[in-house]
Amino acid sequence: MIRFEHVNKSYRNVTILNDLSFEINPGEFTVLVGPSGCGKTTTLKMINRLIEPDSGDIYVNDRNIRDTDRIELRRSIGYVIQQIGLFPNMTVAQNIAVVPKLLKYPKAAIDETVHTLLDMVNMPYDAFASKYPHQLSGGQQQRIGVLRALAASPPIILMDEPFGALDPMTRASLQDEVKNLQQQLNKTFVFVTHDMDEALDLADKIIFMDKGGIVQIDSPEDMLENPATNLIRSFMKKRLAGPDQPPSLVRDFMRTDIHKVSRNRGVRECIELMAHVDIDSLIVTNLDKTYAGTISIKDLKADGKTGVINTPEDGRPYRSSEPFIKTETPNVRLNYDAKACFDVLLESDSRYIVVLTPEDRVAGIVTNTSVAKALADAFWNN
Amino acid sequence: MRNFFDLYGDKFVECILTHLYYVVVSVGIAFVVALALGIALSRAPRLSRYLLPIISVSQTIPGIVFVGILLLYFGMTDTTVITALTVYAVFPILKNTYVGILEVEPQYKEAARGCGMSGLQTLRLVEVPLAAPAIFAGLKMSCVYTVSWAVLAALIGRGSLGEFIYIGVATNDNRLIFAGAVPSAIMAVTLGYLIDLARKRVVHWPRGREAK
Repeated sequence: MIRFEHVNKSYRNVTILNDLSFEINPGEFTVLVGPSGCGKTTTLKMINRLIEPDSGDIYVNDRNIRDTDRIELRRSIGYVIQQIGLFPNMTVAQNIAVVPKLLKYPKAAIDETVHTLLDMVNMPYDAFASKYPHQLSGGQQQRIGVLRALAASPPIILMDEPFGALDPMTRASLQDEVKNLQQQLNKTFVFVTHDMDEALDLADKIIFMDKGGIVQIDSPEDMLENPATNLIRSFMKKRLAGPDQPPSLVRDFMRTDIHKVSRNRGVRECIELMAHVDIDSLIVTNLDKTYAGTISIKDLKADGKTGVINTPEDGRPYRSSEPFIKTETPNVRLNYDAKACFDVLLESDSRYIVVLTPEDRVAGIVTNTSVAKALADAFWNN
Repeated sequence: MRNFFDLYGDKFVECILTHLYYVVVSVGIAFVVALALGIALSRAPRLSRYLLPIISVSQTIPGIVFVGILLLYFGMTDTTVITALTVYAVFPILKNTYVGILEVEPQYKEAARGCGMSGLQTLRLVEVPLAAPAIFAGLKMSCVYTVSWAVLAALIGRGSLGEFIYIGVATNDNRLIFAGAVPSAIMAVTLGYLIDLARKRVVHWPRGREAK
């Protein structure tokens, strides 16, 4: 449907597009995404010849657009811009009818189109047709902007950050509507945005651009799975971290400055370690480094002398700490929800919770201090 | 007062009508010329940046000098008066047309291009309508100026309310000065009002600033 072959463009000495080649199939919703200045808008505007390439060829329906009449080409391609650009001197109906009128469609057919299109976006003809753009909200204006692009039923629709200036709620509902329209009408959409979320939601195919070239072309799923570069990864950070952007897992709040002892250590050694680093309990691990339990100074002091005497083969008997290892301390996994973990902590008698890796090794602990810190973070937002 | 009308009544009415005739004809011609020139200049803004200041020099020639020069070619005729007034009336309309078209927001021009309008269609359907408020403002300004400049016609014996003013000044007769000044002030205000009415008919859409 649309094919770029070795397209180059530069302004003065700055390269805007560098040997760009790609193809867009009929009926596909393609999103061009990338940081500002990556050339995505330039690429879009080349499709309807608002910008001409320095070299290379662009084909629309297998016709080199260099050989087409520019004005005819534009009338056969829908175009929606971020600033909306509804003509303020024309009513809603007149705005929608602009391209059909330029194409000299019969008046009755134009009226019918306007009726049908307004119905499609749930803006009743009687209420809206004779309004002027400045009497509409931003979201309503851009709906009309989309209808204007659709009015002459062009097979291709170009959209240049069409929802960039709208509030998030309006943007979300317009995204839905546009996606539905595209599926209903089975048209080829080329959509430019710098918002990766929008791209992931809308696209059948994402073309990620940077510095005038293509970095990756993939479906949203494949791009999420295998981002080609760190830049793309950083664009998708929100999605990769999960649906909620603020840190919300145990791993984000746990303390890792903890003291562990192996379970075969003696009581005396444990007490010395606790005294040395000034803490009152230790995490005990098995010999294979997996979590065994906890041990506290209180227990050791109360019954330290009654413990079993171990006599290892190399002599020197010692009092083992083994009987004092307690397993009542709650433990959670690294990716456990932090809020639920805090609830566990507040309801238990323990003053901390042990955090375990998937291999059952000790990753850290969550204490009351962690809770306080998380609250402070949320409160002061830093 | 009665005395005045007995003495000057016929002449008074005649002068008002002559005055109005000069204003309407010269502003009418100026409007057509300025609209065409302003649109032409707006097609070549880079060239116009040099052309406009040159054209504006015409505004700095004193009216008396200009009428004097034209007198040499056209003699003591209406042509002299109307040519002079037209030349002065062109510039405010020209300038406002030019600026008005250039100041049409780029989003509308881009949308027009993207919709597949030719240059002429963009001009006719988008640029000129959106520049209309500015064009009308220029027209009103020209009209008010021309009402006051039209008194120059009396200098070459071609009537207008200037006759009363000049005679009044020469004979130190305040009555006569008022007889010229008051009707021309009323004429200026009335014509301005009529132009505003016309503007409201043409610019029938709500504008951004008013809507918000």
